Amino acid sequence: MKKTKALVALVLASAMVFGLVGCGDNASAPANNNTAAASNTSAGTEATAASDLNVMLETPVESLDPQQATDGTSFEVIANYTDGLMQMDADGKAVNAICDHYELSEDGLTYTFYLRDDANWSNGTPVTAADFVFAWQRAVDPAVASEYSYMMSDIGQIKNAAEIIAGEKDKSELGATAIDEKTLQVELNVPVSYFLSLLYFPTYYPVNEEFFNSCGDTFGTSPETVLSNGAFVLDSYEPAATAFHLTKNENYYDADRVKLSGLNYQVIQDSQQALMSYQTGALDTTLVNGEQVDQVKDDPEFMAIGAGYLWYVSPNIAGVPELANQNIRMAMTMAINRDAICEDVLKDGSAPTYTAVPPQFATGPDGSDFSADQTKFSDVCAYDAAKAAEYWSTGLSELGITEITLDMIVDADDAPQKVAQVLKEQWETTLPGLTVNLVVEPKKQRVEDMQNGDFEVALTRWGPDYADPMTYLGMWITNNSNNYGFWSNAEYDAIIAECTTGALCTDAEGRWTRLYDAEKLVMDEAVIFPLYTQCNAEMLSSKVTGMQFHPVALNRVYKDAVKAE
Amino acid sequence: MKKYIFKRILTSVFTLLAILLVLFVLMQLMPGSPFNDEKLNEDQVQALYAKYGLDQPIVVQFFKYVGNMLQGDLGVSYKISKNTPISQLIQTRLPISIRIGGCAVAIGALAGLLLGLVAALKHDTIIDSLATVISVIGVSVPSYVFALALSYTFGFKLGWFPMLFSQKDIFGSSILPSVSLSMFTMASIARFTRSEMLEVLGSDYMLLAESKGISGPALIFRHALRNALIPIITVLAPLIVDLMTGSLVVEKIFAIPGVGSLLVNAIQSNDYNVVISLSFIYSAMYIGIMLVVDILYGIIDPRIRLAKKGD
Amino acid sequence: MSKSKTANPMEAVAAYTPVDDDFKLKDNASAIAIDENYAAQSFWKDVFIRYFRKASAVIGLFLIVLITVMAVIGPDMNEYTYSGQNLDQKNFAPRIKVLEKFGIFNGDEKMNTTTGTKTINYYKEFGLDDVEYWFGSDKFGRDIWTRTWSGARVSLIIAVAAAVIDMVIGMSYGLISGYFGGKTDMIMQRILEIANGIPRLVIVTLLLLILEPGMLTIIFALMLTEWVGMSRIARAEMLKLKEQEFVLASRTLGAGHFFIIFKEVLPNIIGPIITQVMFSIPTAIFTEAFLSFVGLGIPVPQCSLGSLISEGFNSFTTHPYQIVPPIVVMALLMLSFNLVADGLREALDPKMKEM
Repeated sequence: MKKTKALVALVLASAMVFGLVGCGDNASAPANNNTAAASNTSAGTEATAASDLNVMLETPVESLDPQQATDGTSFEVIANYTDGLMQMDADGKAVNAICDHYELSEDGLTYTFYLRDDANWSNGTPVTAADFVFAWQRAVDPAVASEYSYMMSDIGQIKNAAEIIAGEKDKSELGATAIDEKTLQVELNVPVSYFLSLLYFPTYYPVNEEFFNSCGDTFGTSPETVLSNGAFVLDSYEPAATAFHLTKNENYYDADRVKLSGLNYQVIQDSQQALMSYQTGALDTTLVNGEQVDQVKDDPEFMAIGAGYLWYVSPNIAGVPELANQNIRMAMTMAINRDAICEDVLKDGSAPTYTAVPPQFATGPDGSDFSADQTKFSDVCAYDAAKAAEYWSTGLSELGITEITLDMIVDADDAPQKVAQVLKEQWETTLPGLTVNLVVEPKKQRVEDMQNGDFEVALTRWGPDYADPMTYLGMWITNNSNNYGFWSNAEYDAIIAECTTGALCTDAEGRWTRLYDAEKLVMDEAVIFPLYTQCNAEMLSSKVTGMQFHPVALNRVYKDAVKAE
Repeated sequence: MKKYIFKRILTSVFTLLAILLVLFVLMQLMPGSPFNDEKLNEDQVQALYAKYGLDQPIVVQFFKYVGNMLQGDLGVSYKISKNTPISQLIQTRLPISIRIGGCAVAIGALAGLLLGLVAALKHDTIIDSLATVISVIGVSVPSYVFALALSYTFGFKLGWFPMLFSQKDIFGSSILPSVSLSMFTMASIARFTRSEMLEVLGSDYMLLAESKGISGPALIFRHALRNALIPIITVLAPLIVDLMTGSLVVEKIFAIPGVGSLLVNAIQSNDYNVVISLSFIYSAMYIGIMLVVDILYGIIDPRIRLAKKGD
Repeated sequence: MSKSKTANPMEAVAAYTPVDDDFKLKDNASAIAIDENYAAQSFWKDVFIRYFRKASAVIGLFLIVLITVMAVIGPDMNEYTYSGQNLDQKNFAPRIKVLEKFGIFNGDEKMNTTTGTKTINYYKEFGLDDVEYWFGSDKFGRDIWTRTWSGARVSLIIAVAAAVIDMVIGMSYGLISGYFGGKTDMIMQRILEIANGIPRLVIVTLLLLILEPGMLTIIFALMLTEWVGMSRIARAEMLKLKEQEFVLASRTLGAGHFFIIFKEVLPNIIGPIITQVMFSIPTAIFTEAFLSFVGLGIPVPQCSLGSLISEGFNSFTTHPYQIVPPIVVMALLMLSFNLVADGLREALDPKMKEM
């Protein structure tokens, strides 16, 4: 009996140790049927010079449903295999894609798009106007609850979009109608000067209704449940995959333009591993973090790519009495040494920013950058320790206090934490009596705290959704949910109303000037403390040419990319 | 005995249900929501809540969830991989985590047993100290530092193993992650083996066995190690669950599509269903293994069985 | 041990007629306790001697004392503070002037860039002859020496506090559960199973999200998750001991439950308990390090060994010297706590006396 017990013990032990897993010996993992697909296709492409581009991603894809996706990674991947009416050219301007040509009515309210005849889905059916109507109706359908539905309503100003989202009208009343198979008519509430540049945004991409319905609930979760009408075809993918592959779409209407045989995506969350993989040649392009820039800054393959995000500090003006004092806010924004933050801490090429609308994404009617001049607000927003201290002491005496303690909420990510630590140090050394405590929170919680006004100071960012200053200036109107400081200024609200739905929306130049006025109000009252415009430090192999990088909408476009052997 | 096992299984089921309820309550306490992206307005958030039934009272949500779960439906992800059924999400990831975790346990347990055994047999010699130092390094250097150091040396500099996980070479690309994960197990097992062996070697029955003329490997393996193994199993059991449900950091570094990184992402993005499902799977594995250990322990060690009967 | 004190009872028996009082329980719990105290004293003396006979245990204790002392005085040994930044002097390699002539700690740093390896010495490059960073400076130009020791201070406080609280809670829980057995044990073990069945990561992150981040929250989070191990050991020991004769004897003599648990059984299992505490201190340090890695550790710019390691980790391939000091201190702490634990266990366990 005793022997059996000891035996049981031994068997148990060895079962624990060996039995549970055969250490990778049977390579028939349940998830690797894609491998076969991937290798087949890469072998299948004839022995041309073309080859796969190996691309690094920082985060996995969140959704392949164009109307549900919200993040840059998902957008990039969707755009690889889907074309909208428009696409981005090298300068980020909208040029025809599925659209062959279009007409705009005189009042600027009705677009008529004529679709090209040779655009087909990968299952052979042609891309029709109905596909766009179906997709756009999905985007505003309250039952779908698309997070980017405001691209149709507030920003695109498509007729009835807002009412449908609010549940007041049926989605069939959306101002987008298929006149015939290849003609799409779009009605707007007001003229929208940047409307064409919205059309390359994935929320506006078509979806084939019949195919969508055949997928049931699984649309966009595997290569079998997506259709391609673009440059590439998705051929291996599973939800939240760390590696997946796209291969060239031979039936693409513009197939001659596409030189790559495919795209090999690899999600790597650790930047050091990514750089090492890049050095061994396993990746053709990768992100580099600030710490590693020292290692690569002499390398000709290193470059800084604009990422569009404006990082700024938002003081809670309505909620914290001390911050309601304008002198205190002025002191705080002028005590920030933005050059030091960019050059010494971030080191990734991020540009110090002194305007509420960041540079390099919005081009005006005269072709100039809205925020090219970074010195225009230098009397209210520049690094000047002496002036800052002066404002500070004025502010303190107005408030009748000698010290202030503020909590600043910061995302738990690496870069914001670094910036926050420097800000704390700069503020505390320049402004006597100021203590800043850093409270690190996951982004979701930080956003919720900010929207509830449950914060004192916050470090936050905003990425442009479309190439117009309004994507930023729209934030600070009274009661906007992203007006975190709960700042309110009637004059400002009036200007914005005038420029979006009022008299100025057809007068491009007049509108532009008024937008400057609006920005000046924000800066003069130090509603936000702009810090820097984010750049990503990237490595791009010298073998690769023609790859496009954009700060808005689609961050990377591969249609013209060529990889030399 | 049968009655005892039946009772234990029944209570385990209730424990699991209780855990599920606790998880639900915890999710309610979680600050933030899966839908509070900056770009959403109040109405849209409400619409999303209604869409996923999150606006209903928690009790209703709970029973609905349990009902769906019994039919094998774990709900959908809200954020990490939008609207993807979680069963689909986990299906491909859990086996990968289990494989790598299992390898790590196997490597760690074997190396640890060996190390502990040698240390105990050569007690108070330089070999013993060396074994202690090795096992201390194992517990004091975080696995992500190990992972990167291994990847740098064997992947980047020497090029022996792939640096990243790849579906094409599952065996090769599992080696570095498994080894870096196994360090902690190895160290803990070595420590326990050493102390248990020392205790067993000092016991009277070993003296008896020795005086009966048994010696050498037979003495150590048949008499000493066998008895030392029982407590080691108790230590190993929870470690197995920990490792098999994935290690976040090592998964992150080697780009392994496992469940550990999924859980952390889910917590940080308030993806309730993913957190609940993964936690629940973890709990089920944990309680399952504990159940097995308890029952076998009862069979092996009469003292524990006696104690239960005595009540 | 009390045998020799009693006179031979046999002589008195013959002439004596028993009365009822003789068969009542003698309420002499306090007397027993005194007796035990006396024994305990010599026991501890014994332990003390046995402990210091073991070289590795003494080394371990010495290291703990050394690190603790450094954690107290180390941050004040130079002019830097743990949070003071100097962006002009960031990422300086370690430099100790007195060692410079031996070719070590001279501020040289070999950097592997993608275009080749180069040796940099920022001290020379910037002409900073008088500047010394003994362990180098980090990406904000903060002194790593100062940060390492103030990190060690934070880690030690967290770990010791967490371990002691664990011990009290876990031990009481385990002992009570094991002693009473039956329904009590059943319910208490199920509660424990529930607490333990939920992934630690979920509990800890949620807690840190709900409560204000800081040292107390971390201690609380560690406490919530670490007591389980302690209670297991206490319960197992209790199950082993409670059927033994001395417990039975004590019970027959009319001792109360809690007297038996804490006065009779506890002293007998103090060895494994203390050993477990010594082992759970490194675990606490380690868990805190993990929390730092997921960004939920001690709030910046404060630091712990864990947060220093995860900071250094980000420059592991660029400036490897930044991760070395916290890792070495952490490893030494772990090693010494393990050595002390081992030493204590052997000193406390009379069964090992002969070995």
